[in-house]
Amino acid sequence: MPTVIFQLPDGTERKVIAASGTVLMQAAVSGGVEGIVAECGGNASCATCHVYVDSAQAELVGPPNDVEDEMLDFTAAERRPTSRLSCQIHLSDALDGLVVHVPEEQV
Amino acid sequence: MSALTTAAPGAPVVELDLAELRRDPYPAYAELRRTAPLAWVPSVGRHLLTRYDDIVHAEKLPEVFSSREEGSLLLRTVGPNMLREDDPDHRRLRTAAEPPTRPRQVRDQWAAAFERTAHELLDRIAGRGGADLVRDFAEPLVAANLALVLGLRNASADDIADWSRAMMDGNSNYADDPDIWLRAERATRAIEEAVAEMAEVTRREPDGSVISSMVHAADPVDLAEIQNNVKVIIGGGVNEPRDVFGVGAWALLRRPEALERVLKDPSAWKRVFEETARWISPIGMYPRQLTQDYEIAGVTLPAGSRVALVIASGNRDESVFERADEFDLDRPHRPHLAFGGGPHFCMGAWVARHEVSAIAWPLVFSRLKGLRLDDGATASDSGSAAGSLDGWVFRGLTSLDVTWQATA
Repeated sequence: MPTVIFQLPDGTERKVIAASGTVLMQAAVSGGVEGIVAECGGNASCATCHVYVDSAQAELVGPPNDVEDEMLDFTAAERRPTSRLSCQIHLSDALDGLVVHVPEEQV
Repeated sequence: MSALTTAAPGAPVVELDLAELRRDPYPAYAELRRTAPLAWVPSVGRHLLTRYDDIVHAEKLPEVFSSREEGSLLLRTVGPNMLREDDPDHRRLRTAAEPPTRPRQVRDQWAAAFERTAHELLDRIAGRGGADLVRDFAEPLVAANLALVLGLRNASADDIADWSRAMMDGNSNYADDPDIWLRAERATRAIEEAVAEMAEVTRREPDGSVISSMVHAADPVDLAEIQNNVKVIIGGGVNEPRDVFGVGAWALLRRPEALERVLKDPSAWKRVFEETARWISPIGMYPRQLTQDYEIAGVTLPAGSRVALVIASGNRDESVFERADEFDLDRPHRPHLAFGGGPHFCMGAWVARHEVSAIAWPLVFSRLKGLRLDDGATASDSGSAAGSLDGWVFRGLTSLDVTWQATA
C-alpha cells in the first residue's frame, strides 16, 4: 500500500494511501485531491491529470510513453522535464513515499 | 437487464414541453437543478440528471451508468458502435480509431489542409459582402476536414454534410416518421459503400486516416465495425464543431470589447472555444442505462432505469460557474462537461479545438473586414430572441447572417 504525497499549488499537501496496482490519478481522485481533473477517466486523451514528479524521484518513476509524451505537449500548465500524466503512473510499493506537485491549471 | 420506461419509485415527475425545451432549455434546467436534480420527464422517457457534481459522478462510473441503452435510436440508425458500448469492447474500437485525432497528428498531419480549405471557402464568399457563416463557411469547412481525417477521399464535403443531417434526423426520430428512416438508411448505405472502398485502398496503402488506422489496428476490427463507427463519427463530427464556431462568432460579434481583446491577443481564442462550449454546449445531453440499483441525487434508481446526463445543465450550474448564464472569457478556469467525461471523452476534441479556434475564427475575423451581424441576428442571448438558436439534445445556430466590406 504505497503512500503518495500531492503538493498543492496553495502550498499545502495531501497524503493518500493507495492500493498497489492502481494508477496515481485514481489515487488522487479517490482521495479527493483538488486539481486532478482527469476528464477522460485515465485514457491519456485529455491532458487534465498533469503532475510534476519531484525531481529527486523522476528517475525512479521513469519517462512518459509515446502516447503520453504527445499529450504532455498540450497541458494547460507549462510542460517541464518531470511532467507526467498521473493516469499513466502505475503505483507499486517501489513508489512508496512518491511526491508529486499539482500544477495551477488543468484546463 | 431490460430498459425500464417508467419513473423510479420516489423520483419526482416533471412535465416538460419538448417544443419549449428546443426553443430555450436553460430556464427549465435551472428549475430542475434547484428543485428536482433527478427528475422523471415523461415527454423524454428518461430521468434527467442536471447538477454538475452528479453528472461528473455518473460519468466516472461507467460500470453502473452503462452506454448500452436498449431501444436507442442511434443503434437503430447506425447499428452497433463504440458510443453505445462499454469497455472493453468500446476501448478496442476507440484505440483503433483514435490515433489520427490526437493533438500532435492534428497539428502535423491535418492542420495545413484545414487551413487551405478555410481560405478556399473564404475566397468564394469574400467578394459578396454578406453570407450565412454557418451554411456557407462552417459547415462545408468541418465536413471537408472530417472527410480528410476519416480518409473518405471518395466523398465530397456536401456528401458528408448531407449524410450527417440524414443520420441526425434519424437519431431524433421519436415520431417514427418513415420518410426520415428512409433518408437515414440511404445515407448509411452510401457511407458503407464509401468506407468499404477506402478500406480496400488503405489496406494496401496506409494513409494515416481513421479508416486506415482501424484497418491496420493491432487488435483487429472488422469492416462492419469500421463502417458503423465512421457513421457515428460523421453523425456527430459535423454539427458539433459547426455549432461551436457559430455560437462563438455570434457571441463575440455581440460583445465588441471581448472581440477586440481576442483580436489583440490571439492566444485567447482557446478561451473563446472552451467558454463557448460551456455556455451553449453543442451536445446537450446523452443517455445512460443503469446496470444495477444505484442511489443518486436522493433517489434510488432500479437497475434498467434510463437516465439522461444533461451536460448543458451541468455547464450552467451556479455552484460551479458563477453567473453561469453569462458568456465570460475571464471566468475562473473550471472544467466544463461539453466533451463528456470518462472513457467516452470526445474523440474529436483536439480536431475541433484546432479547426475552430486556431483556424476558422482567426481567419474569418481577419479576412472579412468590418464583420457585423445582420439586423435581426442581434437580439439577446436567450432562445426566442436569438431566432436561429435551436435544440436541446443538440443546440446551435441554424444560421448566422453577417455582412462585411466586400473585397474585389
